[in-house]
Amino acid sequence: MAIGKRTKSVQQELVMDMTPMIDCVFLLMIFFVLVIDLSQQTLEDLILPKAKYAVPDEKPPENRPVVNIMQDGRIVVKKNDRYDPKLNGDDFSPIHGLLTEFKDTIPNLDIEQKTLGGTKMTLINDPLLIRADKWTEWHYVGKFMEACVYPAAAFWKIELALSEQDKETKMLQAVGKQ
Amino acid sequence: MTSKLMESVQEDAKADMTPMIDCVFLLIIFFLCIDFKILEAKLPAYLPKDSGAQSTPTDPIEKLSLKIECLTPGEKHTRPGAKSDGKHEPAFYVVGHRVRYHVGPTPINTEDALVTELERIYRDRTKWTKDEKTGEPKPQPVVIEPGVNAVYGDVAIAVDAARKVGFDDIQFGGGMGTGGKKAPAK
Repeated sequence: MAIGKRTKSVQQELVMDMTPMIDCVFLLMIFFVLVIDLSQQTLEDLILPKAKYAVPDEKPPENRPVVNIMQDGRIVVKKNDRYDPKLNGDDFSPIHGLLTEFKDTIPNLDIEQKTLGGTKMTLINDPLLIRADKWTEWHYVGKFMEACVYPAAAFWKIELALSEQDKETKMLQAVGKQ
Repeated sequence: MTSKLMESVQEDAKADMTPMIDCVFLLIIFFLCIDFKILEAKLPAYLPKDSGAQSTPTDPIEKLSLKIECLTPGEKHTRPGAKSDGKHEPAFYVVGHRVRYHVGPTPINTEDALVTELERIYRDRTKWTKDEKTGEPKPQPVVIEPGVNAVYGDVAIAVDAARKVGFDDIQFGGGMGTGGKKAPAK
């Protein structure tokens, strides 16, 4: 009788509460899923114009190239400056190099060879997303678009990114400037 | 006997706070992270597939011109919290930026009026063109022509309004505004 009671108490001490460990694992999983989202690396911290009617970009294709155009006209792709109007001016070769890189490295792009007006064109029938700040002067975006019609890698379908929220107004209201 | 009973009652009354704290942490992390992932929207548009002079004869297509005229470029102010990284200027916002849209010859000052005017033109089916592939009538292409000092936000509003009305062939043309700075001489 006495031995039975002692064995029971020893067994009770050995039971480990797994709840905190499972909680911690869940917390870590959620943290890594939400914060270290690799797809977000292509997106620069820009304030996009607010969309009133545009289609939400809910399920963006994985192979869609994304180009960020900063307020000073720099073209940033995956955190790297690929073209700077102050350094490169009207020399679009860095942009053409970027477009060729997209064509060569992004898998499953819909590429079509066509001769248009006597020029052999490599048409990319998949869209390219342009993200620019709402105050980026249009000529920077326009110049990039001009450069997109590049015979060796012509991205002729583009998408302009907008935001579903007016982040700037919120920001200014928060500091009492509006 | 009574003291033992009291003790057991006291033990029962102790609430386990761990699950509640866990849930609170989960909610904090959720709300912190959701702010960084604002859903974006997109506006599809097309660029010309070819460049340079063309010898291919084509039928003329009537296009709807939507010009953006910047009345006042506005004053630049540093965005709250924006800092220079040493290489580049801090981000700015603009106060007093005003534009006027021109749909064909009609000048328009507000976004709502722009939508109304585009809707009026869209409803006029006599202006529609024929689809080259299907032969079905389709709305004429809209050519967005941003002027000097126009910004991305102005163009986005124009494209957004045109897409809302139903124009799905959006093209860009006209002047590209003020030119970028030239590269330094080597």
